[in-house]
Amino acid sequence: MPALRLDSVSLCYRLARQRPPSLKEYAIHWVKGSLTYEQLWAVRDLSLTVTKGESVGIVGRNGAGKSTLLKMVAGVLPPTRGRCAVRGSVAPILALGTGFDHELTGRENVYLNALLLGRRRREIDRSYDEIVDFAELGAFIDSPLRTYSSGMVARLGFAIATGWRPDLLILDEVMGVGDSAFTVKCEKRLEAYRAAGTTVLLVSHSAPAVENGCTRCVWIDQGRLVADGDPKEVLGAYLASLGSPAAAG
Amino acid sequence: MLRLLPYRDLAWELVLRDLRVRYRRSVIGLAWSLLQPLLMMLVLHVAFSAIFRFEVDNYPVYALAGILFWNFFSQSIVHSMNALKGNAGLIQRLPVPKAVFPVAAVLSGVVNFGLALIPLFAILVATGHRLEPALLFLPVAIAIAALFTLGAGLLLSPLAVFFSDTVELIGVLLQLAMFLTPIFYPMKIVPEPFLALVRFNPIRSILEVFRDPIYYGKIPPLSHLAVASGLAIALFALGAWVFARSSRRINFYL
Repeated sequence: MPALRLDSVSLCYRLARQRPPSLKEYAIHWVKGSLTYEQLWAVRDLSLTVTKGESVGIVGRNGAGKSTLLKMVAGVLPPTRGRCAVRGSVAPILALGTGFDHELTGRENVYLNALLLGRRRREIDRSYDEIVDFAELGAFIDSPLRTYSSGMVARLGFAIATGWRPDLLILDEVMGVGDSAFTVKCEKRLEAYRAAGTTVLLVSHSAPAVENGCTRCVWIDQGRLVADGDPKEVLGAYLASLGSPAAAG
Repeated sequence: MLRLLPYRDLAWELVLRDLRVRYRRSVIGLAWSLLQPLLMMLVLHVAFSAIFRFEVDNYPVYALAGILFWNFFSQSIVHSMNALKGNAGLIQRLPVPKAVFPVAAVLSGVVNFGLALIPLFAILVATGHRLEPALLFLPVAIAIAALFTLGAGLLLSPLAVFFSDTVELIGVLLQLAMFLTPIFYPMKIVPEPFLALVRFNPIRSILEVFRDPIYYGKIPPLSHLAVASGLAIALFALGAWVFARSSRRINFYL
C-alpha cells in the first residue's frame, strides 16, 4: 500500500469570463445566455505513486501546477477527475502562518492553529512546551503575534505544523525560514521524521534542497508529468530546459 | 458531517473566540446584548398596546420570548452565511472541514440564546408570571430550534460564497419571514387571507415549541413536538446534503 497514490488526476479551474459576483448579474447573464467559462487545466492526467518513507521533490516553472498538486494531495482542492488517495495523517504546510490571528498571543495561536490542523485540546496540552521550545520564542509567547518579527511567526508556524509526526508531510516553499541555525534545526526534524517513516512531498525552487533532501524528483510542466526519477538526473534535465542553471535560482 | 467529530475542540474554540469578540473588553458588550431585546420588547409593548390595540395577556413575556427566538434564528443564519467567506484563507490552505464554521456560528448563537434567557426570567418574575416546571423543557426546545437553524445555515451558507449579494437578499427574506411569524402579534389578529401562510409557516412551529413553556407554562402537545422535531430534522438533513454537495465547489469560489 503506497503512502500516496494519484490515479490520472486532473484539476480544472473554471474561470468565468464575466465572473458574476452577484445573483442579480448571474440571472441577467443566464437569461441572456452569455455565461461563458474559460477552463484552466492546472493539472492534467497525472499519475504518481509514492511509497512510504520517500522524499519527493517537485520542480517546475511558475504556473506549472505544483502548488495545485499539493493542494489536491492535502485535501484542500478536490480533483476534477481521477482519484487521489493518501494513507495516514497529513500535515500540509502550504503557507506558514495560515490561520494565525495576529491579535492573539503566541500561546493562543498555538492552540488555535493546532486545532485547525485537527488536533484535540488534550494533545496540544501535552505538546505545548515542546512546540514553544522548538520555536525559540521564550517570553514572547504571551505577547500578541503582531509584535513578532516575520521570522518568529514563521518559526512558530513551522513548530506547530510539525509538532506531531505525520505520515505525509507537505511543504510548499517553506524550508529555510528563520536564520540558518533554525533552518538546520528544521532539517534535523525532517530527517528524524523521515527516519521514522514519514513521507515528504516538497515543492522548492532551490536545486540544492531538492538534490540533497530528496530521494526522488518529479518535474511537471503545464500540469503534466515530464520526468520522474533520480533527483540529480531530473534536476539536470529540468535546469537544462530552463536554458541556464542560473535561471533556477 | 461525521468528519467534524475530530474537530469538535476546534468548533468550541471558534465559539469562544466569537463570544470574546462579541463581548470584547466591555461589560457594555454583554449588557447591550441582554438589553437590546428588552428595549425592543418595550417598544413593541407601547406600539401594540397603545397604537394597534389588541389584547394579549402579559404581552411583554409573549413578545420577548418571540424576539429572543427570532434574534437567535436570524442572527445565526447571517453569521453562518458570513462564516465561510470570513474564513476563506483557512479553507484554501488547510484541509479543515468547512462545515465547522457554520456549526460554530450556530453554536455561539445558542450560547447567546442561553444568556438571553436571564433577562427573560427577570421579566417573568417582574410581571408576576408564574414559573412553571415546564420551563425545564426549554433546553429541548432550544435544541430543536438549533437543529432547525443549523439546517438553514448549512443550506444558505454555500450560496453566500457563490453569490455575494445573497446575504442582503436573505436579510430581506428574513424580514418578510418575521412578519409571517407570530412573534409580536397573536394568531387571532391574523386576517383571513394570510392565516394559512402564518399557520403553515414552519418557523412558527419551532417558535411555539419554545414559547409554550414560557408563556403558557406547559409543555407543548406531543403532536406539535413531533411536527417541530420533524421539521428540524428534515431541514437539517436537507442543509447537510446541500452543503456536502456544494462543498467541492466552495473552494473554487472563495
